[in-house]
Amino acid sequence: MKRYVLGRLIRSIISVCFVLSITIVMVYTMIPREKIFQTDTSLGKYKGDALVNYKYNIWKDLGYLDFVQPSGICAVSENYNSCVNGGADFKDLVADYETRGYTYVPYENGVTGFVTRDYPAYELIWNFFSNLIEVDNPWAVQDAENEELQRSYYITTGSNGMPAVACSGCKHKYQLYIDSNFPFIHQNVISLDFGLSYPTFNGLETMDVINDGQGQVVQIEQTFPSGVTQRSALNQYTCEYKQTSTLDHLDTQKFTDNYANCKNYMESPSMVGTSYLFGIIALIIAYVIALPAGVTMARHKDRWQDKLGIVYVNFMIAVPSLAFIYFAKWIGRLFQMPEKFPELGFGDVKSYILPLIILALLSTSSLIIWMRRYMIDQSNSDYVKFARAKGLSEKEIFNKHILKNAIIPIVNGIPQSVILCISGSVITESVFAIPGMGKMLPDSIKALNNRMVITLTFIFTALAVISLLVGDLLMTVVDPRIQLTAKKGGK
Amino acid sequence: MTTMDDRFTFVKVDETASEHISAPKYSYWQSVFRRFFSSKVAIVMLVIATIVILTSFIQPLFSGYDPMNMPYINQRDMWFIRPNATYWFGTDNVGNSLFDAVWFGTRNSLIVALSATAITNILGVIVGMIWGYSKKIDTVMLEIYNVIINIPFMLLVMVMMYVLGRGIPQLIFALSCTSWLGTAYFIRVQVMIIRDREYNLASQCLGTPLHRVLTHNILPYLISVIVTSIARDVPNFISYEVFLSFIGIGLTTESSSLGYLIQTYSPFMTSASYLFWIPVAFSALISVSLYIVGQTLADASDPRTHMV
Repeated sequence: MKRYVLGRLIRSIISVCFVLSITIVMVYTMIPREKIFQTDTSLGKYKGDALVNYKYNIWKDLGYLDFVQPSGICAVSENYNSCVNGGADFKDLVADYETRGYTYVPYENGVTGFVTRDYPAYELIWNFFSNLIEVDNPWAVQDAENEELQRSYYITTGSNGMPAVACSGCKHKYQLYIDSNFPFIHQNVISLDFGLSYPTFNGLETMDVINDGQGQVVQIEQTFPSGVTQRSALNQYTCEYKQTSTLDHLDTQKFTDNYANCKNYMESPSMVGTSYLFGIIALIIAYVIALPAGVTMARHKDRWQDKLGIVYVNFMIAVPSLAFIYFAKWIGRLFQMPEKFPELGFGDVKSYILPLIILALLSTSSLIIWMRRYMIDQSNSDYVKFARAKGLSEKEIFNKHILKNAIIPIVNGIPQSVILCISGSVITESVFAIPGMGKMLPDSIKALNNRMVITLTFIFTALAVISLLVGDLLMTVVDPRIQLTAKKGGK
Repeated sequence: MTTMDDRFTFVKVDETASEHISAPKYSYWQSVFRRFFSSKVAIVMLVIATIVILTSFIQPLFSGYDPMNMPYINQRDMWFIRPNATYWFGTDNVGNSLFDAVWFGTRNSLIVALSATAITNILGVIVGMIWGYSKKIDTVMLEIYNVIINIPFMLLVMVMMYVLGRGIPQLIFALSCTSWLGTAYFIRVQVMIIRDREYNLASQCLGTPLHRVLTHNILPYLISVIVTSIARDVPNFISYEVFLSFIGIGLTTESSSLGYLIQTYSPFMTSASYLFWIPVAFSALISVSLYIVGQTLADASDPRTHMV
């Protein structure tokens, strides 16, 4: 069993890496790179060589290519000034670059130029994976002006009075802490770095775009390490190291150390949080509707309950989900429900009702049909005949004997549904303009936000892989008869 | 004795009688059609589906509708005409007839859905039959399947469309490039069930070559399974196409589809609701009719339902 899980895990990781590699190569090589500037408004500010530099710098940031400007080429030169103006050194250094596979592109001014090299596919993949996982450690911070910086871990109490593991010398002050938000214990040791988002959410890291709160900042009363108590939006648990040269008097007023670069508390949940909130509630509604419905249909097979259920299921499968969503929205309007989520926002219960009902109903059809199938399959088995022979009532047989066995395959799907809630429902979120992760994917595709597409691909695929594995494992827990390692027959 | 014999007469021995088989005449396809046409709902849906499919392929040839061509764009009185005798479905925000636009869109949606279904099922059945039959291929294919099946389908289609660009061939490719694996896996399981049955083992003992085993022993058993798979795929692909075009990464103006129409007209949902609801109703109508026809056909093609 352990061997099986390990094998499965390795396969899952390979599968994620494989998908990601293909996506990276396709996104970076098949989409014309000029296209990413389509929605960049700051492009109009530049002309001539400045424009060329701007574009190449963006491509370099996004990991398309390596790009060295004259200042970079001449950095190793002894007489820098003559080199930057196209002196003899310059030509030698450029020739040196050219032997390493770079191409020389002259500027419009005709004096100098720059060298550039496109990354081949394997280098794109290597660059991505080598930068992906970032482990915070006490030697992470380099600050020339703060020589006495301690480099150690220590236990302290956080801003909310709970114990926390903090670190001096790490990028993040708090490495491990507890607060009232799900999942209650948080860590800053390992972080995933997918690079910067561009052109939408410009300047932010893609993970931060997805994970950070949205909307307005919220100020709460809190005490800072220096003893000052004031209303502030800063979330002290997110504080990162700030270089001594950039510290200002506001920072020194609140903090006793260099960890002053904090994120703000926001009024609305993050994109992941929003999708998760919707997903979980909708999931509960779906199971509450679908399981009793499936059981009822199986119990009254070929009678009106069953026929009605089959009509419903067929309707849900056949009608395009978009048509169904709009139909439901139209009905919702008769009850004065808002058309889009942002109309009333996070604060109003009304904005949740319609999307939740639609999300739940969309997933009921398959649940109902499988529940009914499993129940009916089980109802022909010997133990049911035996129970009937013992004189048990139909109700008892169905609710106590058959349900227990029929629920096993359903259990297999639960982790999948729970984990996939995070990725949200692309369709419903798009139609209702819910600021969640599901809507993010089509949005970033339309905005040609390559980094974001890759980030979301990673998250969605990783979640799907994990959920399948957890589902299978859970099934063996529920029913010990099931063995995942069993050899199948056949030729 | 003689009185008894009077009541009997001698009959001539019929030489051919022993040659006849006593079972009633059975034809597979005849039974399928008899079974199919016994359902009234299915007949109605078949008529609707046929009319819609035929009209959507014929009407655009005569209307000469071209979504890139907007002759009435500057004539204000041609905009937003409510459905009437001349313009059955009214006109849209640039004065084009919605009737023409809907049929044109339906045609493109159907082209995408039917092509993707055809590719998925043909490839899926061929690969699935070989996959289910050969142990060597099974180990390789299972690994591939395990990798591919982990990827959320919607994500894959969206990334493919992102990379390949928008258009009908790209959409068909994106929809069918991995979905055939699901069908193939489905078929593989069925083949594995059938291949170890006695009749097939007997047939193999008698030296039937592999291709004949696959086409004559196994394929007939798979027909109802394949029809079920097709009946499920067509509405699914229509739904995907409608959705992708709706969120703006499916088809473009020149190959406008039902999803594209829904997306373009969604701002007029309250002001000119017919513009929005007619394409929505069409997408639902095609899916439902094709789904019900497919389901009934799938039931009818299962030989177990032919016993009277």
